Amino acid sequence: MIVPMARLRILGPRERLADTLRAVQDIGQLHLAEAAPRAGVQPARLDTQGERRRGQLARALADIDDALRALDAMGPGTLAAAASVADCARWARLANRVRRDARALRDRETALDEERALVARYREFLLAVLPIVRKVGDSARLTSHAVVAPASARATVDALAASLREQLGAEFSMTTQQLQGGDLAILLVLPTSFSAKLEARLAEARVPEVPLPEAYRGLPLQDAVPKMIDRLFQIPQEIEACRTSRAALARAHGPELRKAHAALVDWLAAATAHERCSVTPHAFTIEGWIPEPGVPALTKRVAELAGDAVIVERIAREEWGEADAPVVLSNPRLFRPFESLIALLPLPTYGSIDPTPYVAVFFPTMFGMMLGDVGYGLMLAGLALLIHRKTAPGSLMHTAAEVAGPCALFTIIFGVLYGEYFGDLAHRLFGINPIIYDREQAIFAALAAAVGLGVVHIVLGLVLGAISAGRKHPKHAIGSGVSALMVLLVVAALMAAFKVLPAALFTPAVIALLVAFPVLVFTEGLIAPVELLATLGNVMSYARIMAIGTASVMLAVVANQMVGAVGSTAVGLVFALLFHLVNFAIGLFSPAIHALRLHYVEFFGKFYSPGGHKYEPFGHRTAPPGAGLHGNAV
Amino acid sequence: MNTMWVVLGAAGVMAISALATAWAQSKIGTAGAAALAEKPELAGTVIILVAIPETMVILGFIVAVLIILRAGAGG
Repeated sequence: MIVPMARLRILGPRERLADTLRAVQDIGQLHLAEAAPRAGVQPARLDTQGERRRGQLARALADIDDALRALDAMGPGTLAAAASVADCARWARLANRVRRDARALRDRETALDEERALVARYREFLLAVLPIVRKVGDSARLTSHAVVAPASARATVDALAASLREQLGAEFSMTTQQLQGGDLAILLVLPTSFSAKLEARLAEARVPEVPLPEAYRGLPLQDAVPKMIDRLFQIPQEIEACRTSRAALARAHGPELRKAHAALVDWLAAATAHERCSVTPHAFTIEGWIPEPGVPALTKRVAELAGDAVIVERIAREEWGEADAPVVLSNPRLFRPFESLIALLPLPTYGSIDPTPYVAVFFPTMFGMMLGDVGYGLMLAGLALLIHRKTAPGSLMHTAAEVAGPCALFTIIFGVLYGEYFGDLAHRLFGINPIIYDREQAIFAALAAAVGLGVVHIVLGLVLGAISAGRKHPKHAIGSGVSALMVLLVVAALMAAFKVLPAALFTPAVIALLVAFPVLVFTEGLIAPVELLATLGNVMSYARIMAIGTASVMLAVVANQMVGAVGSTAVGLVFALLFHLVNFAIGLFSPAIHALRLHYVEFFGKFYSPGGHKYEPFGHRTAPPGAGLHGNAV
Repeated sequence: MNTMWVVLGAAGVMAISALATAWAQSKIGTAGAAALAEKPELAGTVIILVAIPETMVILGFIVAVLIILRAGAGG
């Protein structure tokens, strides 16, 4: 349900504004709102000193953010008592120093990483040619050149080598090795006197020379190669030393910087909140929203913290519009995880209907109807239990596991009803038969069950739409109710026509439809018949429950048939297990997506009213860096 | 011969509806991924948009099943 909200106004002498605002922040329950404009009342502004301080603190906060990022030391900080000006100056200096040191260490790590990657790329080649390079180094007449050519230039390189071999005879030799990625590393040994000409020939053939890291450029190859090989062993130690230094910096200054971050965010939030208050020459007002049950406690605590001169009054319901009120959803423990599925859409507006309880009932039902297999249900339950235990409460995976639990339960229930235990495995082994119908054979029964659920779901949506519109748009509410009735009448007429219901019901149902039709057009306008057809189309959309269910059971049956169909039983068993795993993975995603879609498009379309804004009370926040400055200032 | 046409008809329905769905989803999916990169809060809307064309292949599947069952070629 959507929690009823109360709008409050806090009034007091102007000189008590700062104290009162601090008290409201300490209480942390009031969602601040702009005060309605009145003659003689103006928004509170920070004085010149306050504005200057805000600028300084915003800059200090940015520096602290940077420093914490460079240290990889982000996280919530503990909020200390109100920060003094001296504290802020000290924090700004600390942030600057730590940021400079941490960045220097980071840059060094990056440079070392790049050097290691470059040397590692040519490592095998360098090791292979090292003996030749050393031998050439001993000879005054010979020199060596290392070049890298793309794989596509192999023909050009071969032609160049053939030409040089013909020209230089036994004094020329070439060693090649393919590098990771396909490039070709080549070592050419040739007379020193020919070196200049070779470079020209290589340039003509557009074959690039090995780019030695900067530290080795200018060194002869026979000196550079051993040094590079040695560096491969030194670099990891140097990187580790940098990381250790950075970790030491984080240990030494991280907690202080996080504390500074929390204090500055808090101060800036209070400054923003100050500007949402209104003042006259002698008084101030603070307006905001609070969940109805919290009003007495807030009134009492404001009196305690801010004194008797400050009073809290409730603003009459007639003075505020529902569009302005923030929205808080409150549901029983069992339904609460399903609020995460509503969170994928904009919040419902205040005063409309919270769909969470309906989603909590129908989502697992639809999921179970689609997957409907005891074996898969048990696997899902096990997976949900494991994730639930391994993840922190409140995390996305934890919530997903809480949603998966009821889905697993319904999958098992429908599995028993369909007689499916890893497809038809239990039927093959133990002769277990379905209780309601066999999804492999009874396509029409499955279709009827799916569309039947669709009728119930859509009619419920239309009824909720009628209730939701009831107070503000009575005509639309009647139209929604008539639509629901007409959907039921159409279904009754069809069932009577196909003799599922007594045939005598056909004529009364059609007559009732004819009577309802003009009422629908009168209440909803000329577009209503088209919308009614669209609603009937929505009902047919639930046929996907049968289609996905049939596909799921067929895949499971195919998996079972693999045992005995593929060579030996053992190989068939492995294939069957793999196929069941794939089917299970598909069975997790496909029913979830389609059950969601049926809710979002078909069901919510009948009553859901998006556009509500979140309840964000003004309070102390120990936000992690990078979360912004004004998050809790509303 | 008759069975062959029934099967071909059912396969044709499935193939055409699946291709239509695939084409629509490829367009919507690309645009949706681009939108999500800039506005992750649109996840719910994008899921809806991507799932909408699947109605075509699902209805195609049902029509294919009906063709086979009505023609008695299922068994």
